[in-house]
Amino acid sequence: MERKIRKVLVANRGEIAIRICRAVHEEGLKAVAIYETPDQESRHLREADESIWIGDGPVKDYLNIDKIIWAAKKTCCEAIHPGYGFLAENPFLAKACEEEGLIFIGPDYKSIKDLGDKTIARSIAESAGIPVIPGGNILSEGDPTGDALKFVEKSGYPIMLKAVAGGGGRGIRKINNEEELKSQIPIAQKEAKSAFGDGRLYLEKGIERPRHIEVQILADNHGKVIHLGTRDCSIQRRHQKLVEIAPALLDKEIQDKICEAAVRYAQIAGYRNAGTVEFLVDQENNFYFLEINTRLQVEHTVTELITGIDIVRRQIRIAEGIPLDIDQEDVVLKGNAIELRINAEDPQRDFAPESGKTVLVYQSPGGPGIRLDGIVYQGYNIPREYDSLLVKLSVYGFDWDEMISRARRALKTFIIVGPKTTIPFYLRLLEEKEFLEKKFDTEYIDRHPELFDYKPLEREEAKIAKLISIIHHKKYNPFSM
Amino acid sequence: MRITPDIPPEQGLRMLREAKGYFITNTARDLSQSDFKNRILLHTELLVAEERDEAGFFSLEISGGASIHVDMLRKLINPFEKLKILKKHMPRTMFQTLCRGINLFGYRPYPENVIRLTVREFAKYIEVWRVFDFLNHVPNMIPVFEEVKKAGRYLEPAICFSTGPEHTDEYYVKKVEEIIDVTGKDIILAIKNHSGLGTPARIGRLINAILDRFPDLIIHYHGHNTDGNDIGRIVAAVKAGAKIVDAGDHAMTGFFGPPPILTVIQTLADEGYDAKGINIDAIIETSNKLKKVRRAYEPFESQFKGFDSTVHIHKLPGGAMGSSFEQAVKGGFLDKMPEILIKELPRVHRELGNFWSVTPGSQILWTTAVTHVLTGVRYKNANEDLKRLLLERYGPFPFYRPSDEIYEAVFGKDWKRIVLNESGREEITPIDIEEEKRKLEEEIKREASIEEVVLYLQHPKDAVDFFKFEEEYGKTYVLPPEVWYRQGGFEIGETIRFRDYTGKYHQITIGPSSPLEEGGIITYLMVDHHPEPFVYKPEEEEKKGEEEKKKSIEELMLLAEMGEICSTIDGTVVEVKVKEGDIVKEGDVIAIVEAMKMLNNITTPVTGEVKAVPVKEGQQIKVGDLIARIKPKKVKEEEICQDRRSQEQSIGHQ
Repeated sequence: MERKIRKVLVANRGEIAIRICRAVHEEGLKAVAIYETPDQESRHLREADESIWIGDGPVKDYLNIDKIIWAAKKTCCEAIHPGYGFLAENPFLAKACEEEGLIFIGPDYKSIKDLGDKTIARSIAESAGIPVIPGGNILSEGDPTGDALKFVEKSGYPIMLKAVAGGGGRGIRKINNEEELKSQIPIAQKEAKSAFGDGRLYLEKGIERPRHIEVQILADNHGKVIHLGTRDCSIQRRHQKLVEIAPALLDKEIQDKICEAAVRYAQIAGYRNAGTVEFLVDQENNFYFLEINTRLQVEHTVTELITGIDIVRRQIRIAEGIPLDIDQEDVVLKGNAIELRINAEDPQRDFAPESGKTVLVYQSPGGPGIRLDGIVYQGYNIPREYDSLLVKLSVYGFDWDEMISRARRALKTFIIVGPKTTIPFYLRLLEEKEFLEKKFDTEYIDRHPELFDYKPLEREEAKIAKLISIIHHKKYNPFSM
Repeated sequence: MRITPDIPPEQGLRMLREAKGYFITNTARDLSQSDFKNRILLHTELLVAEERDEAGFFSLEISGGASIHVDMLRKLINPFEKLKILKKHMPRTMFQTLCRGINLFGYRPYPENVIRLTVREFAKYIEVWRVFDFLNHVPNMIPVFEEVKKAGRYLEPAICFSTGPEHTDEYYVKKVEEIIDVTGKDIILAIKNHSGLGTPARIGRLINAILDRFPDLIIHYHGHNTDGNDIGRIVAAVKAGAKIVDAGDHAMTGFFGPPPILTVIQTLADEGYDAKGINIDAIIETSNKLKKVRRAYEPFESQFKGFDSTVHIHKLPGGAMGSSFEQAVKGGFLDKMPEILIKELPRVHRELGNFWSVTPGSQILWTTAVTHVLTGVRYKNANEDLKRLLLERYGPFPFYRPSDEIYEAVFGKDWKRIVLNESGREEITPIDIEEEKRKLEEEIKREASIEEVVLYLQHPKDAVDFFKFEEEYGKTYVLPPEVWYRQGGFEIGETIRFRDYTGKYHQITIGPSSPLEEGGIITYLMVDHHPEPFVYKPEEEEKKGEEEKKKSIEELMLLAEMGEICSTIDGTVVEVKVKEGDIVKEGDVIAIVEAMKMLNNITTPVTGEVKAVPVKEGQQIKVGDLIARIKPKKVKEEEICQDRRSQEQSIGHQ
């Protein structure tokens, strides 16, 4: 079969660029990496077949659509994969691709644009008969507080104040009373304007202790839409996901209903390629449509582990117009998987990134059920310019308990010397009773401050080496005199 | 015939009584203390554990004396863990300790509940308990006696031995009677000749006298070889009927510790006495192995080599010889040593009652004599311990009291009243062990085991420092002496190999060092084949020390005048007297802080309104910690200036 794509420009950096290169290579195609100057030593350049410099950055060149298009043309790519973050949900990259005759590996311009608008996304759900969280009306620019107070009369507190253009957990505030409402609206407006270029806000009724559940969708250009089951991303900190689990830990009946709703949503929206439909599930198992992410997600790996399906390879083929080779009946969910993001951050200092530090020693775990998607290597310097993700640890287990014990085992066998990491925090999490009993929701982390009460792990030989260095430098053992 | 830990003490004692011949205790601990300043590491003890276990000693003295303290202070090992590890490697050998009675392993009396707990915990690993008191005051040993018996271990009460007109056979036989009245006859009696005094004939007569009175009594002779003649005393002791004697491995013997085991065996064999249970090959093999590591301990051997027969004059115990010379070198009074040892020390010893020169008595005699020689003033600058001795806090003087002149020199004109009111053995109130455990846990920020609490009760600060060290640097007892005591740094490319406490093998190779632009040195160590950089910044260390420097009293007073009332001592807040909004006057008590069991008032030097009280009752505070913030009542500038002017004037008039 003649392929439409022979070479893919990977318009991203870090671990996701490597992930995409791997899929491109497995498809028998070539991959081209782009980079800004601070990334010139980055590992994603080594994984690609070619690389092209796009400027000094930082970040701004990765966000420059013209440069991306130029790079794709210059290196004779037929397609662009945006990864996640950067331009992945910017409709204008998709639009530019369409105009330049390049294949954008993702949904089309219109889908990204419309579905990125939270109010349009909600109205599609309503028209598909999928429950949405009460609320959703955009606050008027003239009297946003007045509008909000009217909404509260019906719904009561708490309410969620959200930016229309927000996403990925950003631009969300929980409002508990009138005082907060009055003070927060102007701040949120200003923030949304500067962060997303759109100051519009809307409200939703707050749901107590919800679970954050999402459905992975694959849709081809020929009308076929399937789902790859659910993920639970409830364990969050300030609306940022920390841990993702597949499948969600809900009764099968509810899972089925949610998955069916997600598929229906994608069909009605005319969605194509890979996407994620997100829901909130309350304590009574009522579910509400939240938003749809029109891109590949960080946590796609856990779905790949429990389905055995390579989502990124399917993305490329769908973009080429190849019909999906899988029917819904072929999708079998087996076992449990968890993704833990090993970041160079200090959880005890509010996850402050350890920027500028060098990974002096790196040894990774292996063995059954372990998947690593990372950028880190011995000598890796945590960039000040970009994120602090070192490696995503995805763990598969035949059942929940096996998954937990493998994850603990894998975390304990990592050796990372240099920066502080999230590993000791995850080890605490994997010992916590409620978590082990699968009792968690989006407020879980707030309920468990003790997870941050750990002592840093240090290898015995590293401790002794420290002493030997003191004896060496001081020229005697100060502890022995 | 061997007496092993699995044999019940009743049976063991019977075997000792009936044995034709004698047994040997390997006093590795005393050897380390007397000739190596207590620095011999567990690594070395483990190196020869198998051979020593094979050698068939009655016991291995491996704990007690100063070792509990030095284990934590200089060897950075948990004294309990040391015993547990050694036990695993030496299952057939009984362990022995030396306990200073009411002073346990320290220098001053402990509360009775601490004594009992400590003995209980150590008795889990120690079969033979030698217990002594430097005044031979039996009541000081009773709590330890009781706990050892309760634990089902061998009790070995000691009579400390010395020479002089008062030290007669009658006196010592009476002392033994006094002990047996308390303990019964199922004991081993130690003759503790810690300075190695007396001739062989004297020791023989003493043992004959004791055995005449108590024919079945098992006697364990302990001596030191300071004069080079302890073999003679041992031979005399065994011939007179002692059943156990102390000696050390010949490869490590020096001058002030025990004499060599092998020489004891050879000499006594020719006299027709058989060393029971002994395997000579294992004794020789032990020393063959030890010979190779002795060099690593060289820095801790005595600066002065050779036997010292003048010990019969100055009577310093073997365990204090090395450290006394070290002190003389460090203090720059080495030239005064003959005067101190031959003249002043014996004089002080006689004047203060001719009791036994052993811890803590030996320290009191030594310090007093040194002070006299260095200052030229006798008794006037008495330290706390000498005062305690004179007030008989440690127990009554065994033979006679020092002269009135000495009391007057120490306590001043009013000495009679002081002696009348303050004399007598100190009653120490039990402490709240649970509370101490809580304090320890607060310091180390984790749960503490009962063994850790015991160590904390002996030496609070040094135990905490040790626990913190171990958290930072791991279990370093796996390192050999040539690494632990290395002087001058390592060679590039040198590889240090060790098994960590879990048994995992590691190797650390020293890599190159280079200076850093921002100061300091970076050295790469290959840790298990992976390079890891280690940065050393000497100047940073100094700076840190400066920051931690406590504020001076003057600085604290100035702050207080500005309304910031800070603690002037380290301690615990027991009472907060004010709350926010209170109006306080100059001199009012703000809070009461307890330190060293004393209550101290923290007062305000300013009048004003209390704005904040950031401390709670029960809270630990340090010098400089804010107790209260007070907004001083406004004083008109005029008044201040007038005040100052009048002050200046008064200065001018003087």
